[in-house]
Amino acid sequence: MQFARFAITRAFLAMFTLILVSLIVFSLMELVPGDCAERYLAFKSSQGSAITIADIDAERVRLGLDRPYLVRWGSWIFNAFQGEFGDSCILRLNISELLGQKFWLSLAICLTSLLVAYLIAIPVGIISATSKSATLNNSLRLVSYLGLAMPNFLLALMIMLFSTIYFGDTLTGLFSKEFRDAAWSYDRVKDFLSRAWLPVFILAWSATAFAIQTVRALMSDEVGKLYVLAASARGVSGRRLLWRYPARHSLGPIINSLGFDLNRIFNELPIVALILVLTEAGSLLYDALAASNDQQLAGAIIFMLTASIVTINFITDIALAITDPRVRRSILG
Amino acid sequence: MTETAIIEETDANVDQKRKEAYFTAGQGQLIWARFKKQKAAMVGAGLLIVLILSGFFAPFLTPYDPTIAGRNKDYLNGAPNVPSFCDDHGCSLRPFIYSFKRSRSIETNFRWVTKIDTSLEARRYVVFFPQGDEYTLLGMDLSTHLFGVDSGKIHIFGTDATGKDIYSRTLQAINTSLAVGTIGVFIAFVLALIIGGISGYYGGWIDSMLQMMTDAVRTIPTIPLFMALAAFIPATWSSETRFFFISIILGFVGWPTLARRVRTHLLTERNQEYVLAAQLCGASAGHVIRRHLLPSFTSYIIVDLIISFPYMVLSETALSFIGLGLKDPVNSLGVMLQNVTSADVLLNYQWYFIPVFFFITLVLAFVFVGDGLRDAADPYADTKK
Repeated sequence: MQFARFAITRAFLAMFTLILVSLIVFSLMELVPGDCAERYLAFKSSQGSAITIADIDAERVRLGLDRPYLVRWGSWIFNAFQGEFGDSCILRLNISELLGQKFWLSLAICLTSLLVAYLIAIPVGIISATSKSATLNNSLRLVSYLGLAMPNFLLALMIMLFSTIYFGDTLTGLFSKEFRDAAWSYDRVKDFLSRAWLPVFILAWSATAFAIQTVRALMSDEVGKLYVLAASARGVSGRRLLWRYPARHSLGPIINSLGFDLNRIFNELPIVALILVLTEAGSLLYDALAASNDQQLAGAIIFMLTASIVTINFITDIALAITDPRVRRSILG
Repeated sequence: MTETAIIEETDANVDQKRKEAYFTAGQGQLIWARFKKQKAAMVGAGLLIVLILSGFFAPFLTPYDPTIAGRNKDYLNGAPNVPSFCDDHGCSLRPFIYSFKRSRSIETNFRWVTKIDTSLEARRYVVFFPQGDEYTLLGMDLSTHLFGVDSGKIHIFGTDATGKDIYSRTLQAINTSLAVGTIGVFIAFVLALIIGGISGYYGGWIDSMLQMMTDAVRTIPTIPLFMALAAFIPATWSSETRFFFISIILGFVGWPTLARRVRTHLLTERNQEYVLAAQLCGASAGHVIRRHLLPSFTSYIIVDLIISFPYMVLSETALSFIGLGLKDPVNSLGVMLQNVTSADVLLNYQWYFIPVFFFITLVLAFVFVGDGLRDAADPYADTKK
């Protein structure tokens, strides 16, 4: 009963956040100079037809851009929740078709990087927080800071150069030529996996650095606490002690921030996509914002991404509440 | 017998004095004492000071103007000139470099090829404090540079595709990136202080509302946010306007993390007795925040600012890298990094990578100093270990 109430409160909060975020995203896209009607007709004008102001106004009416701001936001968000984002301003294609599996591919790449990052960071962070050796600690710190300071596009470039010289393949793209437009099949999956490891590795590189920092800080806060001392006084020791007591407590906040970690990883995706010539949502977003000012497409991608983050935050909240009664109480009072 | 008693007494005295010094030391002195003990942080601090100073005095420390005005049009994509003391013709006390000839003919397949002339006459000696390009530093118009060569030009980090001196550009770039970071951190800080301050002091529903807003802003990935804001920048804007706009964007995007920390500090502090005492005396909310709450965690705020600094520099770099931030005539670290991305550079002009090391050092130095300060500012750091 208590749990159901918690879940419902959380779901409402998530919904509210999503609506608030959609307002921010929608306003941002409004701020981009020019609108869809102008952009479409600018294209037509470049094709040779003469365009007048009246044509632009007519196009605005056709697209519904003459309606008040809040009304347009309302209809945008209403359609967005049904997975319908209208047509792209520049490409004149339905956005859902255009994005299609590309968004899910990007999300899968980001989530895999996140998983890899924590698979490495949790054991390493715990070792670094509990070991007494200063050399080990300092070298781990240096390596993880290098992950932070070494720009990931540089890493990508190095790997590409290396593979071009030694394997004769640039490793760019997500599929090789013959599979690019093919339907999903066993071979296509294999081909995808043989290429997707590179963006995953590069994205996980800096994410791991960040994650080690977090795990280490949280863990070293917990290790000194009295309940750990009490447990070791009762005779629990070694790995068993660490996993049963401090690690369990310090992993809570980490699970809680997974959504924001995903956010940070996705941040770097457009840059990596640019170098590795990936054809997924990150590069589409880059094109839409940097090259063509396609606000419909950009808004759709950012909205889908924030929706995924809010969903992950919601799921982790529920998961935490199942395992930790303190979380339930903090929300319900 | 008496001697040992005296020694014991003085020991006790010294001990007493040390304790007294410890208990009466200001917050700043305690932090400094703890900070000094951390070797990595001290090295970082040293490097950071060197980098900041070299950025600030860049026009003097570098031989040429980092803009197109100071370019060497005879030495495009030129390799670094490394000064040496000795060669086949014997040694010289003054370091020297060689002059070179550029030629293009049927033998070189019509590509520009630089030939170094290693004869004794072709030596060019390094001179100190020569007169060169004019610059303004600390309000003075100067033209003296730290070093140069007696004839021709010296490029210790080589030159880029337009013949600009990479060494001069790098130092200038540090300056620009630090300036962008400072403005960005400052704006983020003011916003964080206001929003986090209100949220933490009042608590209750105001806090919940503001927290929800902060979380919403945090949910939007920053790079797309940057990109959307940067899409505003008309192509016609001058590089200075662009520069300020980018700094402001960085500030407006960077506040949520800081605001959260300010809020957490305030939430724990506001229930302390001294706040209650001030409130009972009739102090207004603004007075309590300014006079009592903020000073209670100034050191934490400073630490937070330094920690958030490298992220500002990184963001600037990322933004410039995707071509939405600063653009080529401006020298920023992001612009310098953007230049290394072509395959031509990777294969033929590796000296373009020199600024990358400066960038990595700068970020690492900031992170180590921030980390050291955080440990030093934690009053329980000693008792924990």
